[in-house]
Amino acid sequence: MAIKERVPMREQAPEKRIKNFDSVPLGYSIEEAVSEAKRCIQCKNPLCEIGCPVRMKIRDIIHYIAMEDFKSAFLLAKSDNAVPAITGRVCPQEEQCERKCILGKQSKAINIGKLFAFVADWARENNVVEDVKVIENGKKVAIVGAGPAGITCAVDLRKLGYKVSLFEALHMAGGVLQYGIPAFRLPRDVVDYELSFLEKNGVDVELNSIVGQNIDFEDLRNDYDAIYLATGAGAPKFLGCAGEKLKGVYSANEFLIRVNLMKAYKFPKWDTPIICGDKVGVIGCGNVALDSARCAKRLGAKEVYILYRRTKQHAPARIEEILHAEEEGIIFKEMVAPCYMTGTDDGWVNGIQLIKTEFKGVDKSGRKRPVNLENSEHIFELDTVINALGTTPNRLFLSKVPELETYDWGGIKINDNYMTNMDGVFAGGDALTGGSTVIEAMGNGRDAAKVIDEYIKK
Amino acid sequence: MKHIITRKEDLNSGDYVMDVIAPEVAKKFQPGNFAVLLTIPNGERIPMSIERAEGDKITMYIKRLGKTSRELDSWKVGDSFHKIIGPMGTAPTLKEFGTVVFASDLVCGHAENSAMCRELKKIGNNHVISIQSFPTKDDVYPEKELSKEYCDEFILATEDGSVGKKGHYLDIIKDLLEERKIDQVFAGGGIPPLQKLSELTKKYNVPVMTTVRQIMVDATGMCGSCRVFVGGEQKLACIDGPMFDGQKVDWESAISRLAMFKTKEAEAMECYNKEIKELK
Ligand SMILES: Cc1cc2nc3c(=O)[nH]c(=O)nc-3n(C[C@H](O)[C@H](O)[C@H](O)COP(=O)(O)OP(=O)(O)OC[C@H]3O[C@@H](n4cnc5c(N)ncnc54)[C@H](O)[C@@H]3O)c2cc1C
Ligand SMILES: Cc1cc2nc3c(=O)[nH]c(=O)nc-3n(C[C@H](O)[C@H](O)[C@H](O)COP(=O)(O)OP(=O)(O)OC[C@H]3O[C@@H](n4cnc5c(N)ncnc54)[C@H](O)[C@@H]3O)c2cc1C
Ligand code: SF4
Ligand code: SF4
Ligand code: FES
Repeated sequence: MAIKERVPMREQAPEKRIKNFDSVPLGYSIEEAVSEAKRCIQCKNPLCEIGCPVRMKIRDIIHYIAMEDFKSAFLLAKSDNAVPAITGRVCPQEEQCERKCILGKQSKAINIGKLFAFVADWARENNVVEDVKVIENGKKVAIVGAGPAGITCAVDLRKLGYKVSLFEALHMAGGVLQYGIPAFRLPRDVVDYELSFLEKNGVDVELNSIVGQNIDFEDLRNDYDAIYLATGAGAPKFLGCAGEKLKGVYSANEFLIRVNLMKAYKFPKWDTPIICGDKVGVIGCGNVALDSARCAKRLGAKEVYILYRRTKQHAPARIEEILHAEEEGIIFKEMVAPCYMTGTDDGWVNGIQLIKTEFKGVDKSGRKRPVNLENSEHIFELDTVINALGTTPNRLFLSKVPELETYDWGGIKINDNYMTNMDGVFAGGDALTGGSTVIEAMGNGRDAAKVIDEYIKK
Repeated sequence: MKHIITRKEDLNSGDYVMDVIAPEVAKKFQPGNFAVLLTIPNGERIPMSIERAEGDKITMYIKRLGKTSRELDSWKVGDSFHKIIGPMGTAPTLKEFGTVVFASDLVCGHAENSAMCRELKKIGNNHVISIQSFPTKDDVYPEKELSKEYCDEFILATEDGSVGKKGHYLDIIKDLLEERKIDQVFAGGGIPPLQKLSELTKKYNVPVMTTVRQIMVDATGMCGSCRVFVGGEQKLACIDGPMFDGQKVDWESAISRLAMFKTKEAEAMECYNKEIKELK
């Protein structure tokens, strides 16, 4: 039997969407979703599920969608994933569930991400919620950081009856989902709705609470039966080169926090400003770099360049985002590495010195290694530089708890049970890895909830 | 928690003082810390020095400058802030220095002056000298808002000499450094004078700690907007500072970066003025 083509996703046209921050994909209609779900051959041995870090019951969820039983599909999705509407939109599916889907061998894999986003959106629009009955067990857990790892751990522990306090440094919960990933990829009404179950189910969310700063870590240790550290990796890395002091040079984090958390794209109706020039260069080619580039385009930049020392085929970003960026006119300047920035007399950046690279051998991770080509330095004129070189674990917290063992680069050390060197203090998410994915962080949060439960009950 | 304004008075024609209920901030406050204000939900996160914390209240001195500080000026006792976050920053280590001077010439500096002198005075045998300078007589704060009662010697100065000593704090401190042994200087306020002060104290081999104001966004160390360069190293004013060894600060870039959003600030002000007009 011939396999049907994947049901295409309707999207906002590129010319239109670069003028707004609304979602690029428009979402499946009921007919489209059912039709896509019916492509699934319901494998006896669903490989797709092995590809999902939280082992969602993909086959059965898709089966329910095909049967138009969206409620059952939603409840089953929710049982393994607190925020399916979010992961459906931001997971690198082509590396995970969809990569393993058997249909990918002959045709295109099932669009698992978009189907799950559909089901979660359907539940939201139809007020279908999972019924959570909490039987209080009288124990207390403190969670530091309300990103995907902290949120997942909070929900799971709450369901087990714990009293959970979730401390978040910023004035909104969500971590990267709130301050990093732009609304055109992850609409904020989706985030707000998915997070609203925290308070609905009695998780005590303490915003503006920076553990180590205005909340003492010692107090948490005394007051709670266990602590979960999910502080993320939010501290920007800089090149440490000349010109980083110049005006018009941003870390991707600053650029994205201004735009996404502080809504600078609505300035002056919203108070936080941003200055984005006509010719913008973004250093790096991960999700963070592409998000910055696409935000810059939407802020009105005429030319936006991705400056990358490899080629885009080797980039860590999601494929969908690279395609979307290209459609939006982002220019990929490949095989170049940054040296330093140049500036005007009054301190504004006006260019970047680049050096060409070539591939030579492979690095530790097995990827082709780019090396600088001697005597190929050249100045590239720009008026805004966004540095998306990556981030390291937030050091504010770490500096206040010197007893906590970390790696030299700041990652928190844990044992096989997610416990740090401090008794009863667990850790997870980007704070361990320096940066991974939403779903990996959530998987961590889920595993940690289990071991925390065992630890307290012991 | 409602952050209600319990007192609002003018300090001079440009500055005003506010007491606001913010118990969490008050509880942990140490002199040198600041607060982050989010006046309205769509507001900007702006840093503000804390002059004192008493009970569940904090006191701030605020300059009418741009959109946020002017809008806030239209608020009255009983109104409340959307969010007040803090205390933020790393308070400098205070100890028995000997003869220690705190100098200030501008709103945020004056707030820190009182906060720090009060604390310095409590420690050992510190001899605390406060210098507060203002452009002219009319700008001088009401007496109870000066740091007079918290120090051993209080020097009021005006640049035109209309009251107190004549000159800027830079002139006064120069004389002091000439005349007596000063062990430590602290200062806050306008940035260009802080640069000059740093050069001056270096000549006399006296250490100086200065508040380096920079544009902040999150104020939790996640954006790098507030980066300052101290002794060739990149520091973050929000979590490592805002007080740094002035003799090591790269003042040129600090001054330049502080002005990065000038055009946007003017735009915000214009838009705000238009809104006010339309309301009237
Ligand atoms: C711009 C951008 C785009 C991305 N795109 C994708 C994508 O498309 N797909 C994908 O899978 N992944 C993506 N990622 C990666 C993904 O977002 C992260 O791996 C994930 O969010 C990590 O979750 P976390 O819970 O560990 O940390 P975070 O999401 O970073 O959350 C940590 C939270 O802890 C808070 N915190 C820190 N210190 C303290 C303290 N002392 N006290 C209280 N709170 C504190 C922080 O404010 C923050 O809210 C992207 C990341 C970025 C930055
Ligand atoms: C550590 C610290 C302590 C401060 N203490 C005080 C104080 O005690 N009293 C006081 O009146 N002001 C203080 N400030 C400055 C205060 O934050 C600005 O005056 C305020 O942000 C101005 O906002 P606006 O909308 O009224 O003016 P705008 O028109 O937006 O800005 C006017 C000027 O204020 C500064 N500024 C603007 N936005 C920011 C920002 N996000 N972060 C830092 N500076 C900014 C810039 O120099 C700018 O040119 C302090 C700043 C810092 C960094
Ligand atoms: S959570 Fe992510 S990886 Fe797992 S099924 Fe959903 S989209 Fe795929
Ligand atoms: S591997 Fe593909 S076809 Fe098989 S169950 Fe999973 S989604 Fe369906
Ligand atoms: S204000 Fe963002 S790092 Fe300091």
